[in-house]
Amino acid sequence: MKRFFLILFAAAVLTSCGSKENAARAKVNIYIWTNYLPPEVVAEFERRTGIDANVDTYDSNEAVLAKLQSGVADYDVVVPSDYMVKILVPQGLLQTIDHNRLPHFKNLDPRFLNQAFDPGNAHSIPYLWGTTGIGYNKQKVKEPIDSWRALFDGRYAGRILMLDDPREAFGAALKLMGRSINERDPATLRRAAAMLEAQKRLVRTYNSSDFANLLAAGDVDLAQGWNGEMAEAVTNAPDRLAYVVPKEGGTLWIDNLAISKGARNLDAAYAFIDYVLEPKTAAKIVNGVHYAAANQAAWPLIDDKIRRDPAIYPPKEVLDRCELIEDLGKTMPLIDELWTEIKAQ
Amino acid sequence: MKGGWHRRLLAAHTALVYLFLYAPIAILVAFSFNAARQTAFWEGFTLDWYRRLLSNALLFRSVRNSLVVAGITTAAAVLLGTPAALALARHEFRGRRATQALLYLPVIIPEVVLGGALVTFFGAVGLRLSLWTVVIAHIVFSVSYVAIVVRARLSGLDPSLAEAARDLGANPFETFRRVTLPLAAPGILASALLVFTLSIDDYVVTSFVAGVGATTLPLHIYSMLKVGVTPEVNAISTLILAGTIVLIVLAHRLLLDSSPTEGAG
Repeated sequence: MKRFFLILFAAAVLTSCGSKENAARAKVNIYIWTNYLPPEVVAEFERRTGIDANVDTYDSNEAVLAKLQSGVADYDVVVPSDYMVKILVPQGLLQTIDHNRLPHFKNLDPRFLNQAFDPGNAHSIPYLWGTTGIGYNKQKVKEPIDSWRALFDGRYAGRILMLDDPREAFGAALKLMGRSINERDPATLRRAAAMLEAQKRLVRTYNSSDFANLLAAGDVDLAQGWNGEMAEAVTNAPDRLAYVVPKEGGTLWIDNLAISKGARNLDAAYAFIDYVLEPKTAAKIVNGVHYAAANQAAWPLIDDKIRRDPAIYPPKEVLDRCELIEDLGKTMPLIDELWTEIKAQ
Repeated sequence: MKGGWHRRLLAAHTALVYLFLYAPIAILVAFSFNAARQTAFWEGFTLDWYRRLLSNALLFRSVRNSLVVAGITTAAAVLLGTPAALALARHEFRGRRATQALLYLPVIIPEVVLGGALVTFFGAVGLRLSLWTVVIAHIVFSVSYVAIVVRARLSGLDPSLAEAARDLGANPFETFRRVTLPLAAPGILASALLVFTLSIDDYVVTSFVAGVGATTLPLHIYSMLKVGVTPEVNAISTLILAGTIVLIVLAHRLLLDSSPTEGAG
């Protein structure tokens, strides 16, 4: 037993020495979604700049919020989603970004800039983005799916999955009505709720965590879902599964690079963000992680297969009809109430 | 013949219980050799996931972090918890009951509360989050487990053994080293294994207090859920399982070696 602990202790001492050696070099601490930064992209950054990049991963926006709120986390660069930027900024957890220090900012697609969650991109730089759409089993549906109508179609009763998320469920109904996902008019919202109530008998399950697996396993044939997980499922079974953003448009999400208020490695943080904005780097990231980048200069360098994959890059006219989920403020309680009624039926 | 029937039923029952306990682990091990990326179907044998594991620096770092944290936590918790257990089991002193109640607290309170409290505490004292804050957090809940398990072992022992040692001229230190400690050893070892296990798979508390470079294996696996867990996780779990079995066999051997009648360890 003594020997056992001695070995463990020695291992601990050795590893702590290892990390001290690097203390003299410049570094940047990055807190980012899993599978959002290919290792070779990090390696090239370190090689080129001599800066050590420490990458830690998280699984939810709330993890970023908790870490930054603690006030003692040493992360310099974080990657919150659109709505989380809007929560972090008023709490003073993100720095104002000096665009003059980012010469490659010009490479970004204006479509993703200056959004309601961060006017003028004062605190955030768009990184990767995606959509909500429908994943479906090509062998089981009657015709090609291109509209939210399919999720309200009686022929698919008992084989439909909806996201367990009021904004997404209402989003599908509102888009089908030709309205905005961020509709605030109570009468319109009530009509959307009536649609969702009528739809309920067709829905096999409401699920936001496991939808792609349920679709892949054949438990449902049509599933509302986010494109990342769906793309993964489709890649594994391309003959059987497909993903489409309905022609009415879906929700759009953007994950953004931001610098934390207490960042201690400011120069390195700017160097890293600007490096990511280079067309070559952005293309390498897209080719590696299979999410779309907000970088238009990278487009010619992205693999053809990815550029033509509508699950990653939906057609422009469809994308034009996609919307970001905005904070609805006083309208939220009504939506929550209507959603509770639908789920309780 | 009648007894045979009963025995067979019992054997079948036992087999089913073991199947229930070990089938998932067997499947996990089997699928670490599966050629398919998704774990629903068997598509042929491969060592690919083990090969990819070797080049997955982040996953490797998370395993190393977990081992470092669990190792230090276990050592520290045993060193702090065993004396506490001795004091509680062998001595009457003022505040004994309160001490005991306070020791149970970290075991009882929800992990979310403990994690939240710790991160607030670190914030208040200005301690930057790192791997060391994870170690501190794990020691906090581990000490209690050690104290409880070792204390249970000590209360089952005959106090007259220590008295006999003193009667035979052993000083308190010798009594402790040659009588009490060897008798308590199985409890200490059991608590060490328990605490090592608790530390290595803790997610909730760790997710609160982990800082830069402190991603542990559970944190890493959870963060993979967004894009799907690959069989690489099965491969690393299989390796850890194998390592654990080796450790337990080793610990068992050491315990057998040191417990025989000649006394000293």
